[in-house]
Amino acid sequence: MAGKRAAKDTGEPQAGAKTAAQADAGAAVVALPPDCRIAAQAALKAQLMGVLERGAIVLDGQQVERVDTAALQLLVLLRRELGERGGTLAWRGASEALNEAAGLLGLARILELPAARPA
Amino acid sequence: MVNAALAQFQQVFIEESLEGLDTMESSLLALDDGGDAELVHTIFRAAHSIKGGAATFGFPEMSSFTHEAESLLDEVRGGKRAIDGGIVELLLRTVDCLRGMFARARAGEPLNDAVAEGLRGELAAAMGRGAAAGGVQARREVDQADAWTIRFRPHPGMLAGGNDPLRLIRELAGLGELAVTAELDRLPALDRLDPAECHLGWTIELAGPAKRADIAAVFDWVEGECELAIEPKHVVAAAAAASAAPAAAPVADVAAARAQRETSAESSTVRVAIDKIDGLINLVGELVITQSMLDTFRDGVDASRLALLEQGLAQLARHTRELQESVMGIRMLPIASVFNRFPRMVRDISQKLGKQVRLELVGEHTELDKTVLEKIGDPLVHLVRNAIDHGLELPAQRRAAGKGDTGTLRLEASHRGGNIVVEVSDDGAGLNREAIVAKAVQRGLIASGEGLGDEAVADLIFQPGFSTAAVTTDLSGRGVGMDVVRRNVADLGGSVTIRSTSGKGSVFTITLPLTLAIIDGLTAAVGEERYIVPLVSIVESIQLQREAIRTVVGGGELFRFRGDYLPVIRLHELFGCPDAVRAIDEGLLIVVEGEGARVGLFVDGLIGQQQAVVKSLEANYRRVSGVSGATILADGSVALIVDVAGMVRMQSRRKVA
Repeated sequence: MAGKRAAKDTGEPQAGAKTAAQADAGAAVVALPPDCRIAAQAALKAQLMGVLERGAIVLDGQQVERVDTAALQLLVLLRRELGERGGTLAWRGASEALNEAAGLLGLARILELPAARPA
Repeated sequence: MVNAALAQFQQVFIEESLEGLDTMESSLLALDDGGDAELVHTIFRAAHSIKGGAATFGFPEMSSFTHEAESLLDEVRGGKRAIDGGIVELLLRTVDCLRGMFARARAGEPLNDAVAEGLRGELAAAMGRGAAAGGVQARREVDQADAWTIRFRPHPGMLAGGNDPLRLIRELAGLGELAVTAELDRLPALDRLDPAECHLGWTIELAGPAKRADIAAVFDWVEGECELAIEPKHVVAAAAAASAAPAAAPVADVAAARAQRETSAESSTVRVAIDKIDGLINLVGELVITQSMLDTFRDGVDASRLALLEQGLAQLARHTRELQESVMGIRMLPIASVFNRFPRMVRDISQKLGKQVRLELVGEHTELDKTVLEKIGDPLVHLVRNAIDHGLELPAQRRAAGKGDTGTLRLEASHRGGNIVVEVSDDGAGLNREAIVAKAVQRGLIASGEGLGDEAVADLIFQPGFSTAAVTTDLSGRGVGMDVVRRNVADLGGSVTIRSTSGKGSVFTITLPLTLAIIDGLTAAVGEERYIVPLVSIVESIQLQREAIRTVVGGGELFRFRGDYLPVIRLHELFGCPDAVRAIDEGLLIVVEGEGARVGLFVDGLIGQQQAVVKSLEANYRRVSGVSGATILADGSVALIVDVAGMVRMQSRRKVA
């Protein structure tokens, strides 16, 4: 798991456009909304379920300003589901808010979150 | 960020908590009168909510303070301790102290003060110590350790209830370094997940000298919504914390929230009953229907449809009036919120004075404008204090007068016509005519009491600097009471009167307008201008003969009215209106009363009576003396509203000068 993540991570230094092109080739990119809290989770879950078949999902967490336990719980489940199916979950960045919340809830490692980069 | 939302919730929390404190106070008073066990539960619940909310919304000092009171209440509730006067007294002071804390929280000041610290000690002493643990965990365990293990598993429904474990853990991070391990064993499969349910659990290692109560306080708000175990871990944990940085975050949060609070402290809110809002929506719907009906006349009106047009206009008028009344109704609140402060006050004052007083509150549901409501409190406090201090007698005196030991003080509110009437009555000694006259003579207010009617004598107590109390007490008797009452009530467009019977008691009657936003007035013409004179202050309108006017040297014009000489104020001179009537016998004199004095306003003539929606002149232009506001007439022009009290003051200044 860690290997896959490392590969993705090293594949996306600063050059956002290039990474997006790479990701779009096979993986589904899902951008997390700025207000990623409980009220947004039903929609997010539906969106994730829709792209689950693709096997490879890239989450863009750079826009996230607010996040709660419900959101992180959903992401943990996505991570586990993809793992069981042999798929991959990668990140195209994660905001400070997302990192802080995952850290507090003890979920940062499970989610394999990249560190926040200043925008 | 989270801060703006937090500050907003803090405001709501403070408002709700103040209501909770009112409940605690009234229940404590009822308990003091021999209430039942249910009251203890009510008080406990109120304290518990405040404690939990305070912890959640970033007021840890308040939370831990309330916790002491709650622990005491818990013992009472559990039957471990009998409630007595001492405990009630202590808890009442706790309520006062919390009110102070909330006031400081609103102002963004530090919450604790010496009173709070002292009271906290007293509460702890009353508890006899021993149990300091919070309500979540079993009591009488170790309550201080260097490291703790916290097992926390929310029930699935906790998220939907608005409680986020993230926030709780973030709060824990403020107590020490955390090592958080999430437990994923109960997670369902992704497709079976209801995203609003929580299936995670946590084991949290907290390193740092924390009290159990502080940890428990974090989870207070979710009591019953989670499984929780807090255990001391005696080994000093050196485990690497999952994240140390977030510990600094709450500090910044609080500082920002405080700044936010300062800006929003000014604005206040009104809670409106849903049925009032539904009524409004209903009315607006009717208006839209009427409008669309009238819209069909856009293409022109022919005689055959004239009746329909009339009908539509009549409907429009009716709906507009109803809508106006309903919108006014939003600002109307029951007077109970003011009345409710009196049981406590009456109890304290009567105990201090050794008098026995039974308080009767009638008509608490009478509604009045929020602005009026906020300002009527102080005058009523004065009247109630005076009634107990001066009106009601000591038990021995009452017995001697053939009355029962316990005096009755009655507060009654009711609607009469377009007014609110609040009466403060007592069955005490009544006004002492001789003492009032003697004092008034001593103060140089009158030459002698001869020929003065009872009403005129009673009126003397409203004069500035008047007080008959033999001994100046800290309750009343500084002589700044009644004149302030009259002025405050006059500022609200109302009046105060007294009826008093020697030996039987006194009745103070405050009459107030329903709202300050609309007044009934007479429209008067002065030259090209129109002025509104408030109907409440009008005594009479008269036409004078030229001979009826006396001119005094340096004092302007006077006219005789019911045995008195009253000054004439010519509005055209005061406001500088050209083309106005100047000859006294061609115009009209409106006799008005304000601040206990009468003057005659000279105008060209009267146009009619109408309701005027008051627009603030200060807000739209600037303050103008002699004018209290403006309104817009049917033809779209602006008319100024005459400030009668202000004119009377101007007149008396002119007299002095």
